[in-house]
Amino acid sequence: MRTVVTLVAVPAAILAQAAIVNRLPFDWGAGPDLVVAVVVAVALTTSPAAAAGCGFAAGLAMDVLPPAEHALGRYTLVLCLAAYVLALLHRNTGTTGALNGRPPVRAVMGVVAATALGVGLGYAVVGLLMGDPRVSLAAVAVNTLVGTALTALAAPLVAFPLLWVRGALGDNEYSAIRGPLPSGRW
Amino acid sequence: MFRDSSRSRLILAVLIAAAVALLVLDARPGGDPVTSAARTGGELVFAPAAAGVNWATAPATALYDGLRRGPGASGRIAELEQANTDLKDQLRAARIDEQRADQLDELLGLAGLGGYEIVAAQAVTHVTARGYADTATIDAGTESGVRPDMTVVNGSGLVGRVTEAGPHTATVMLSTDVKSAVGARLEATRKIGVVNGGTVPGGPDAELTLELFDLEAPVESGDRVVTLGSHEGAPFVPGVPIGTVDDVHVAPGALSRIARITPAVDFSSLDVVGVVVRGPDEGPRDSVLPPRPDKGDRS
Repeated sequence: MRTVVTLVAVPAAILAQAAIVNRLPFDWGAGPDLVVAVVVAVALTTSPAAAAGCGFAAGLAMDVLPPAEHALGRYTLVLCLAAYVLALLHRNTGTTGALNGRPPVRAVMGVVAATALGVGLGYAVVGLLMGDPRVSLAAVAVNTLVGTALTALAAPLVAFPLLWVRGALGDNEYSAIRGPLPSGRW
Repeated sequence: MFRDSSRSRLILAVLIAAAVALLVLDARPGGDPVTSAARTGGELVFAPAAAGVNWATAPATALYDGLRRGPGASGRIAELEQANTDLKDQLRAARIDEQRADQLDELLGLAGLGGYEIVAAQAVTHVTARGYADTATIDAGTESGVRPDMTVVNGSGLVGRVTEAGPHTATVMLSTDVKSAVGARLEATRKIGVVNGGTVPGGPDAELTLELFDLEAPVESGDRVVTLGSHEGAPFVPGVPIGTVDDVHVAPGALSRIARITPAVDFSSLDVVGVVVRGPDEGPRDSVLPPRPDKGDRS
């Protein structure tokens, strides 16, 4: 059931991002990133390996969908790493609290904001390493900060419901304890 | 803090290696069968979704546009009234020049519309996922004859060039993108230069910047800039208006003259554009105008 919800929610968020959010006329460039919010929600409720796979798939989808203006694999790499690190940190430290109850909205927003910041900076760094002339300090600062703020604002609408559904459908006795989850569980 | 099982680490390593391999494959010059097949697949999913959203949000978009322009409307009216009086004064003063300017306008318009075969398309998205590149997606692709490195224009002038083309959509790099460089010619003096997107080092803050190679060439604000044209019309066909000179930047010791350009196209309200799929039968080379025997007094 959890798997079905995830398999519906992640592609829905990707399509919404590509077809709706990317067409909104933001004068300042970057818009909210629903994909980051969804990947955060999945990464907080699964094992690091599964989170990395989810991040990889979501990033690859965003790389493939038009407008195809950057090299394929750029977003894939960043999102895969971000999801893995987030899942690892959450499993080993339990920073956002137990998921058997409703996680606090502010904590979810904070985690999404931190991830969006990391993803934004990582995306810029990959561009810098590949010699993309569009990556300048001012552009990175504006895009990353505005994108992070908007993504954090969108987090309660996107990440929170998915987190709650995944928490409610999952095995609560497992998500309540800190420690290795059975790997491969979606 | 970073404890993890070796199996999980192995999965991560494989995924990262795959991502890096994709990056390397796609960053190489020239097309790659794997990445272009993937892009075609993504485009197949995107085209119906974008069309559906287009259909569903048309009323909301109109409402949003109206709301967005509402607060600025009174200022806009005052601005237009001022412009109107200014224009009336100019009209009285420059009655002699008027006929000539009209003729020039007409000829310049004909260069774009008369000689070239154009595929009409609608700009579907404008901003990009991460906000760096200045690109637009249009709803015409290889099935309509659109190929990479084709010129994209609209009624006002040059929009950009096609960088990627799928069966039903294509990605257009706008001329305001930092990577964009367009060969250009001053309409009045025929001097050539390059129009770069964004600012060039040492230049003023601008959407488009013109670099003129001739230091002595007279440039004044209000001069119009048109495309120079490339070999066989790829990526740019000649004679398309790019914009007007806003102000000229004087840099002592510079090797070229730099001018700020006001784009002819309003990129914030990009809607219907045309892709030039075929040039005129006779190669226009560098001439701004197609041959017109009765008015062939211009070189």
